Amino acid sequence: MSNENITKEEIAVIYPKVAETMADALGCDVAKVKLESSLINDLGAESIDFLDIIFRLERTFKVKIPRGKIIETARGELSESAFEQGGVVTDAGVARLKFFLSEVPADRFKTPLKSAEIPKLFTVETFCKMVIRQQRATAAGAAAKPA
Amino acid sequence: MDGHFNAFTFVNRITALELGISVRGNYFIPPHIQNFPQSLVAEAVGQLAAWGAMSAVDFKCRPVAGIAGHIELLSPVRPGQTLELSVELESVDDEAAAYRGEASADGIPVVRLQNCVGPMLPVEDFDAPQSLREHFAVLHGNGSTPGGFGGIPPLEFVRTGGEPEKSALATLQIPASAEFFSDHFPRRPVFPGALLMNLNLQLAAILAAEITAPGAGRWNLRTISDVKLRTFILPGEQLELEAKLFARDENSATMLVETRKGGKLAGSARVSFATGGNS
Repeated sequence: MSNENITKEEIAVIYPKVAETMADALGCDVAKVKLESSLINDLGAESIDFLDIIFRLERTFKVKIPRGKIIETARGELSESAFEQGGVVTDAGVARLKFFLSEVPADRFKTPLKSAEIPKLFTVETFCKMVIRQQRATAAGAAAKPA
Repeated sequence: MDGHFNAFTFVNRITALELGISVRGNYFIPPHIQNFPQSLVAEAVGQLAAWGAMSAVDFKCRPVAGIAGHIELLSPVRPGQTLELSVELESVDDEAAAYRGEASADGIPVVRLQNCVGPMLPVEDFDAPQSLREHFAVLHGNGSTPGGFGGIPPLEFVRTGGEPEKSALATLQIPASAEFFSDHFPRRPVFPGALLMNLNLQLAAILAAEITAPGAGRWNLRTISDVKLRTFILPGEQLELEAKLFARDENSATMLVETRKGGKLAGSARVSFATGGNS
């Protein structure tokens, strides 16, 4: 579950293709797609754009991205009730998110943080990390298969 | 005739189904209608994909129009022809259905769709799940009675401006009631994306006609790409349509078509024209 071992170098390798894919999906100039850009606040992405981006990334990188499970993955071992209560992320949940979304500046985590607002935290780097995780999972799956 | 499964339904029979993987079917274009535009051929492929996706999730969710990455318009069709439809479901879950598909008439491919994604929403918001199950059984059995579609409803946009050879603007008043709303959808009437696309294409064709084609030829519509519908369009709403020249070279012209609702982007696509060909 830890993402600490995703290096800046790994991200730098895939970022240009991720940025190009996002620019195509959002119909914007690729120069606008910075690693730290928030998809919603900076790039104006809506829910249909998230779906578009994920499917485009899947095709570009030939990985399967578990849609709708970003938050579930971020939650890790925390139970749903320990992560959020009444639509608001708990302190433990926020701590978990800050760890998982280590690329997001701390001042973007509002207090209280509503669960519905979590996608506003996602940056371009969040998606780079998502692709790298899935590339690793795919590679691990292939290695585990009998020859 | 009840409008449900008739007024805006473009699958008559499902001829083969591999659950969650592929689906084949056909649609008989009623001979008495005036024309059957290619946007409706694409809709027929999308509807077959929807049946394939709904059956894969036991009719809990249904895909709605969302994204079409690339649509090739290969050849026009005419009333009286039978469309042979095929869809490969690339993935289906409770969030989205991804597919590619094709329609052929008389053995000739007429429309091909790639990289399509429909967001999945709860079926019961749109229709009675049991009614869908029963109709699916009919389609997958002997098929439904052809001829329910009465033709493209009279919808016209009003030109409001633009710049010659660069852009065309129009407004479109969505009717408050129309027969197709009873089928699309019974519990939640929504203006069909295929009808909106048809009007967008008409506006783009008007703009294309203003641009001189090389060699005194004419522009023919070839592809539609990056189609994205962002919101439902409801009965009685007013839309602003725009077609603008995006790129042009010697033999092709690409336009961006956008639809806005109250100034907010509701849908967009790129439309490419080329000279020559059989469109």
